[in-house]
Amino acid sequence: MIAAGCDIGSLTAKAVIIRDGSIVSKKIIRVKETALKSAETVMSMVTSEAGLKMEDIDSCCTTGYGRYDIPFSDMNKSQISCHGLGAFWLDRSIRTIIDIGGQDCKAVAVGENGMVKDFIMNEKCAAGTGRSLEILAKTIGIELEELGPVSLKSKKEVELANKCSIFMELDVIQHLYNKTKIRDIANAINTAVARRVVQLSKAVRLENDICITGGVSKNIGVVNKLEEMLKIKFKQLPEDPQLMGAMGAAVFAAKIN
Amino acid sequence: MEILKELETIAKQNVNTTLESARSNGKKIMGYFCSYVPEEVIHAAGFIPYRMRAVESPGTSLGDTYFAPSICSFVRHCFSKALNGDFDFLDGVIFMNGCDHNRRMHDNWRYAKIKPEFLYMLPVPHVVSDASTQKYMNEIKKLARAMETEFDVTITARALEDAIILYNKKRDLLTRIYENRKKKEVPIKGSEFLSIMLAITALPIDIAIEKLELVLKGLEGRVVSSDDDLRLFMAAVCTEEIEHMELIENSGGIVVADKICLGRSHFHTLVELKDDPIRAIAKRYLTHLSCPRMMDDMRRRMAYMHDEIKEYNVDAIIVEKLEFCTLMAGETFLYKNEAGKIDFPILSLDRELFGGGTGQIKTRVQAFFEQVRNIKEMSQN
Ligand code: SF4
Repeated sequence: MIAAGCDIGSLTAKAVIIRDGSIVSKKIIRVKETALKSAETVMSMVTSEAGLKMEDIDSCCTTGYGRYDIPFSDMNKSQISCHGLGAFWLDRSIRTIIDIGGQDCKAVAVGENGMVKDFIMNEKCAAGTGRSLEILAKTIGIELEELGPVSLKSKKEVELANKCSIFMELDVIQHLYNKTKIRDIANAINTAVARRVVQLSKAVRLENDICITGGVSKNIGVVNKLEEMLKIKFKQLPEDPQLMGAMGAAVFAAKIN
Repeated sequence: MEILKELETIAKQNVNTTLESARSNGKKIMGYFCSYVPEEVIHAAGFIPYRMRAVESPGTSLGDTYFAPSICSFVRHCFSKALNGDFDFLDGVIFMNGCDHNRRMHDNWRYAKIKPEFLYMLPVPHVVSDASTQKYMNEIKKLARAMETEFDVTITARALEDAIILYNKKRDLLTRIYENRKKKEVPIKGSEFLSIMLAITALPIDIAIEKLELVLKGLEGRVVSSDDDLRLFMAAVCTEEIEHMELIENSGGIVVADKICLGRSHFHTLVELKDDPIRAIAKRYLTHLSCPRMMDDMRRRMAYMHDEIKEYNVDAIIVEKLEFCTLMAGETFLYKNEAGKIDFPILSLDRELFGGGTGQIKTRVQAFFEQVRNIKEMSQN
């Protein structure tokens, strides 16, 4: 059976194809103008990489903010269930998933079947999401991808007093005026975002093993801070953690959980 | 069902054609906030009671100039509408001390000197006792006198008794419609019920009764639920968006029971007319299914939730709080605590009235439903 999972998020679109229980191709792209265009583009890339045509897909599940009204989708599932199931399918010891995406952040507890037992998701606020990291990275003039590595060089703790992303940006500007080193501001940004995530995650029981998924899982600065604050060690997943939504969707489509 | 479509159209309007034509025929209309303002007294004074609403609000920007952002969006929407002239068709507005946000709306309404001229604050006690019933009776009498003086009308005991009969009839019909949701195959959606509530609280009582009779008849043999719909109990206060309720129900659920101001709270408990109609009214309004504003009554509200869960075969609870709503903040905690005691699935949503953000709400609701189904499946296995 050939099953596809397609995760259309707010910043990136991801797709995974599973054939007879094994991953055959995967892709992450920056989103296009519409959810449909993003879905079509990422799916055409992932199918051609696997040497397949869209008609070869037996079942497709969509997830993410653009999961609705995709003509080739056979079902849609919430990002929460997909991240949970995706991570669990790759590593059956996973019981808690902390997912930090472009516009939301969630902590998901899964049961012994990989399905959601409990979850918490941020309210409308952008603090603690990939989007706020992107804005703050831009404010200090570095690429989002650099935020993690740059922050690791920090030698001095500085604070962003505000919890709100808008005011955080003002704090960052103030630091720039005060000639605070970029690496120290980068560290403060990651700490502030991690702090928001920690507050949120406390609402679910963090059962071991715990992993981190979503785009922000690639920011080593935030990941280290989270491990430090939560006093945990994230379990490494065998696949790119940013793909977990699409992975879970593919597992749902293949009905092999 | 045709009648439900008609009521939905009315529900989505600030002012409907029936009200407009009643007004052009010289009938007066009195706006009121909250379930503690006795409609019978307004009716007996010769007015059509109109429940104040945020429906068709132009947004909160006008209201935002008068209020701090920490005032709830229901109040900011309503006040924006007042500033926009959307309530100019009213002859008066009766407020009550439901919460501080609403009280500040009364203050600002006076301060801004906007229409209508007759603005009245009805102080309702926060506890139930013999003394508070007496106090409430006195306040109802004061309200009646204020209307009599301002509008040169007389509120007779006979008119009050007639009003009690009519409004009890409405309550009875609503209860019968509501209780239809106990059925395995549910004949009416929560969003449709909310439409009914919005419509009938903006119509003259005789017309409202006619419409409710048609609805009740139309429910015979009707089924709107599917077998895998999750049966929901919904708790909230000033919720009035039909689209929001539809969003929840379209995610795979059906609201079968509620504790919403524009829901069960509005028609729970009849007025028991024994002797003095004012006493009978005061007793009913003070002791009906209470709002979180009432102190010392939390246990009864939570017992109500447990009873509804059993009677309506509820699978999950959704409790909603408008941002900064102080009353629901405390109440949400209580609901979560109660649900926790019996390990019952509960989702709390914190949002703004007509505030968008549907993407996140959809995700949260869908994930919650997936979670509830998973728990159900696990327990069946
Ligand atoms: S939503 Fe809450 S704060 Fe706002 S008017 Fe209603 S009860 Fe008061």
